[in-house]
Amino acid sequence: MSLKVGIDFGTSNSGVAVYDGQRVKLLPVDPKNVLPEVIKTVLYITKDYRTYLGQEAVETYYRDNVNRQRRYVKQWAGEIDVYGADMHYVRDIFVYVDELKPGRLLQYLKTALRKDGYHGTQIFERYFTVGDLAKTYLSLLKQRAENVLGETIDAVTLGRPVKFSEHPEQDHKAQETLRQAAHDSGFKEVDFELEPIAAALDYEQSMTKPQNVVIFDFGGGTLDIAVMRLGDAKNRKVYASGGVDIAGSDFDRTIIEKRMLSHFGYGKVKHHPEIMDMIHAIPDWMALPELGTPINRNILEKAIQAKVVPVRLKALEGLIYNDLAFTFYNRVEAGKIALSSDGATVISLEDKDISLWELYARAQFESDIYHYLVDVEKVLLDTIAKSGLDVEEIDAVVKTGGSSNIPLFTGMLARIFGAEKVKESNAFSSVVAGLAIKARS
Amino acid sequence: MSFTSKIDEWMKEAEERPESAVMIVKLVARRLRELTERDEELLAENIALQNGTRVEEYQKRITHLEYQLELLKRRFGVDGDVSLVELPTKPVESTTSSILIYNAQGRVFRVEINADAKDLGRITGNMVTDHEPPRLLTVPSNEEIVLLFTSGRVDTVAVSDIPTVELGGAWDWNQAALPNEPRAGELLACITPFSHLPLSDFFMQISRRGCVKKTMTSMAQSILANHYIGKGALQKSDQPFDLTLCKKQDRLAFVTYEGHLLGLDVDDLSYASEERIRLTATDYVIASFTTRPNESLLFVTQTGKVVHRESKSLELPKSANAKGQTLIPPSRLEQGVRFMGAASVRDGDQVIVLDATGRLSLHEAEAMTGAGSIEADGLILSIGIIPADSVKRGAS
Repeated sequence: MSLKVGIDFGTSNSGVAVYDGQRVKLLPVDPKNVLPEVIKTVLYITKDYRTYLGQEAVETYYRDNVNRQRRYVKQWAGEIDVYGADMHYVRDIFVYVDELKPGRLLQYLKTALRKDGYHGTQIFERYFTVGDLAKTYLSLLKQRAENVLGETIDAVTLGRPVKFSEHPEQDHKAQETLRQAAHDSGFKEVDFELEPIAAALDYEQSMTKPQNVVIFDFGGGTLDIAVMRLGDAKNRKVYASGGVDIAGSDFDRTIIEKRMLSHFGYGKVKHHPEIMDMIHAIPDWMALPELGTPINRNILEKAIQAKVVPVRLKALEGLIYNDLAFTFYNRVEAGKIALSSDGATVISLEDKDISLWELYARAQFESDIYHYLVDVEKVLLDTIAKSGLDVEEIDAVVKTGGSSNIPLFTGMLARIFGAEKVKESNAFSSVVAGLAIKARS
Repeated sequence: MSFTSKIDEWMKEAEERPESAVMIVKLVARRLRELTERDEELLAENIALQNGTRVEEYQKRITHLEYQLELLKRRFGVDGDVSLVELPTKPVESTTSSILIYNAQGRVFRVEINADAKDLGRITGNMVTDHEPPRLLTVPSNEEIVLLFTSGRVDTVAVSDIPTVELGGAWDWNQAALPNEPRAGELLACITPFSHLPLSDFFMQISRRGCVKKTMTSMAQSILANHYIGKGALQKSDQPFDLTLCKKQDRLAFVTYEGHLLGLDVDDLSYASEERIRLTATDYVIASFTTRPNESLLFVTQTGKVVHRESKSLELPKSANAKGQTLIPPSRLEQGVRFMGAASVRDGDQVIVLDATGRLSLHEAEAMTGAGSIEADGLILSIGIIPADSVKRGAS
């Protein structure tokens, strides 16, 4: 009999679980992580195409990259045709490539699946499509799960958000890319389940009587909502589902835009458009690593020499050229997570040329992301309305996903449904547990 | 956003959730402490800049670097005003290696060796002068050496300036060169190769009674200009035994006459002279060397018995004044066994052995450790090492 597992391929974290009909077993696929059952959706590919995932990828990246040497060489990248009124000429395009770069760290792989216009990336000599990246990650994850179980895994139930994209074509394309990647990584049978429904299946295990339940799955990449009748496996019913592209990574971006950019010269640098472009690229996790060119360094050095906010621009230079982008995003994310339990936190980054310190209070965070609350509340109420149920008819609201712990949203749920109806579930494992249950059915 | 607006936001948080106020105050206080410490460091730096201390420090560093550059130029045989980038990227290989055999009276034989040499020669005359046996050192023929005298005086000599004697011949001490005659009351303590000074961090001095003194190589110019490094000993009756150049990460080892081995981490040593081993009245240091992980330790007794240890067996003492590791049991000591030489060796190295008859013989280090003993015409007085790569250089 072939073995089938559930895999939650999340935006920030992933997981693998198996269900034996009695209980769900979450597999410890990342022994180096604090929670071995949760693995970061991070992939590191070295120059010789060795691949690492999870905490190992992060550690290898830090070991190989932070404060490393760089050597830029000019490489021919292609040519462009330039047409004028009565002339036409061809121009060569050159790019500066860091030939000492030991590897590429890739995160938010799931976001890449649904990102319009993003097809893939060049990693040294090879071009990796979005599907190639997902395949690389899934095959390594499968291998780890097989090592834990000691047997081959043939089939998988993968989780997917209610909407990869607002556009049905893009949504379908993202799912099919993920399906093909799963097949290519060795799964013979692949099916999907909506993530909030998977979370509902996990919650159902603890229910004693049928109820109308709202699943509020608020993770790193998307918010997914499902209104369901649960508690009786034979009469399980999905009344409505909905979702929106708002989640943890958007909050991180907002924090950077509103609170961090000033540490790198935002608001102080006025007449240097190239430097302004660099500052504006900081919140973009894909753009920041690409800024490290000799031309940009030269621009920054000249501005520092000319005493244009030298301390802040030196910090910007340090952020770009000491490969601190990943550390920086992690610190911001850690600050955001801390505010779920504390009233205030410090987001800091101390390194060569950088001494960043920002005291960040929950009131500030809530004010910064308030506009998202309006959107989230609207999607939630729309989904309830679509289900045909009244708010009073909802018996429980189950929240899952890291962002569901943000007090602003917990407060919103309590305000709409009543605090006693808001139920906690394991933020990182309820979806994967539900997928394992689905895989068995 | 202005800092005042930020404070207003923190106040808002404290008003909304009073329990956050404690957290905010704690975080601000911690930051304040960090900034106070940093401010103090910056003020100290400012003072150093204003009163010229920092300028002097950098001037000294520049002078030291210029001096090191000068030494490198001399090592590479470059004359005149040549910039650092014009120096050869690979060390210039010496065509020959020389063995120096020297005694306490400052007399030195230099013999150039080649790969085929088996019998180096024989010395006639008194072998032990002033109670000190002769010592052996292998250096490239273009090396620069430092002579350390028991008074703490130092002088430098180019190896090539010392006349050579015939390989395989018989030499009398009266024919030996006297590159720098000891002054009244002083003896030649040791000779040390000097050209890797720019790549070293410290001078390490070891006295006969186990005192160790560390001096930064940045002081080299002043030491050589004044021709004085000091005795590096605490007691009047003690005297310098060895001077060696070390890097921060090196491990220094020394071995005593009665078979005690002591390892020291160079970086952990203080700059003052310190007695590092507790010795009996009759014991004294007979060898000192730096160890590296891929090397092993070789110890030779006066009767030719060879003791071999892995370098990782070298223990670092927990106390500042230790007894060291014992190489032989007390019963053997009572039988009169004493150590005359020790070194850190690699496979392929050769060991030169000088016996009481004055004969200098060559032995493969690997064979010595395998056999456990060496044959000599008389009691062994001292040993020296010919590194494997220097023999190859000699052969080329």
